Amino acid sequence: MGNGQNRTSGGRAGPRADNTNRDMRETTTRAAGLGLAVVYGTFIGWLYTRQPQTIAEVTGGLSAAIGAYRIDEQGFADGLRFFRNDQFAEARTAFARADPAVRDARTQFYVAYSYYREGWGRLYHDDRLYAEGLAALNRAVALAPGGRLVVDDPNLRIHTAEELKAELEAGLRVDTSDFNPMRLFRERK
Amino acid sequence: MTAVREAIGLPVVFLTVLLLGGIRIGDSIVLVEPSVFALVLGLLLLRVLVQSGALAPERLMSPSRSALANLNGFVVLVSLWAAAGQTIALLIPESGLPRLIANVFFLVLLLNTAAAAPDRLRLLRSLTVTFGAAFIVKFVVLYELSAPGTGRLKRVLQAMLEGITLGVLTQDVPHRATGYLALFTVALFLVGLVVLPHRPRHPASKSKELRGPIYRIEL
Repeated sequence: MGNGQNRTSGGRAGPRADNTNRDMRETTTRAAGLGLAVVYGTFIGWLYTRQPQTIAEVTGGLSAAIGAYRIDEQGFADGLRFFRNDQFAEARTAFARADPAVRDARTQFYVAYSYYREGWGRLYHDDRLYAEGLAALNRAVALAPGGRLVVDDPNLRIHTAEELKAELEAGLRVDTSDFNPMRLFRERK
Repeated sequence: MTAVREAIGLPVVFLTVLLLGGIRIGDSIVLVEPSVFALVLGLLLLRVLVQSGALAPERLMSPSRSALANLNGFVVLVSLWAAAGQTIALLIPESGLPRLIANVFFLVLLLNTAAAAPDRLRLLRSLTVTFGAAFIVKFVVLYELSAPGTGRLKRVLQAMLEGITLGVLTQDVPHRATGYLALFTVALFLVGLVVLPHRPRHPASKSKELRGPIYRIEL
């Protein structure tokens, strides 16, 4: 009889337990789906905002979002060496290797500086290189915390983003100072 | 409809449409968000889907469902709206007179469809034909007219066409991959529409269709 009772109660509990399990599975699936949709939607929003051009930029941007992005120090050191030797194209290639996701403000500052130095001329400045420099500098400022970017490098004569931006913008602007013969005696910073 | 389809399948499909539909491959890859007008058209499309029974919103959000299930339903509706806007934006030409004409065309078409009140099956067929035609116009006809000519005859014809239309027809030609991606995106959106939770067909209309059309012979 006891066995019969057990069987009966087991028979009643079985479908109830199945229902509970099914409900739990459904709740888990729904919660997981909601989480997945939120994460995927946020990722799409981020892609639309940032407009990354390469997979490296996507992965770099995502790792930067969680604070895990690190530049390649060897690439940066190579870039700095080329930069100091006035080999600007080589320097930019090395900086691109160091910061493939374009997420490091200091590296982008050096990229902008390389455009400035390469485009600088005693008689005239190269507008195309200056415009590239300005774009790189704007990227650097956007990446810097609070938009403040100071690079303590004794080999540079410009240490802040504001000063470099002023130089680049002045180079792109055509005004009366462009016709001042004293500009021949100006020095590259 | 299973919880997996509602919570995972449909949002993933529609969010993927939103992502892929914005990709334009040219010299660089650009993600273009749908215009406000395309989103309005997307809303109209949603209305037509509900009207035809292709989308049963009460099966996605209702007081009888749990809060979590309603949230899942809400995600499906929002992602469907965004995907609809993005798909329409994808099929509208990028610039010039064709863009204006396509905008008006989609608006009139959706209003007309709402007025005609088709059932689910007819609406899905109609959308497939419309989207297919719009795809061919944009990615085959217009791009073929705008692509730089290789032969002398084509270049002459293009110059004549540009002269006659004052350059309002020609478009920027993207990379070939954009067309393939667009085709996949439109197909994915249509598949998403097919698997949406829909209202069951009314038995009366079903039996009427099974009987076939009634022919009256006038003597």
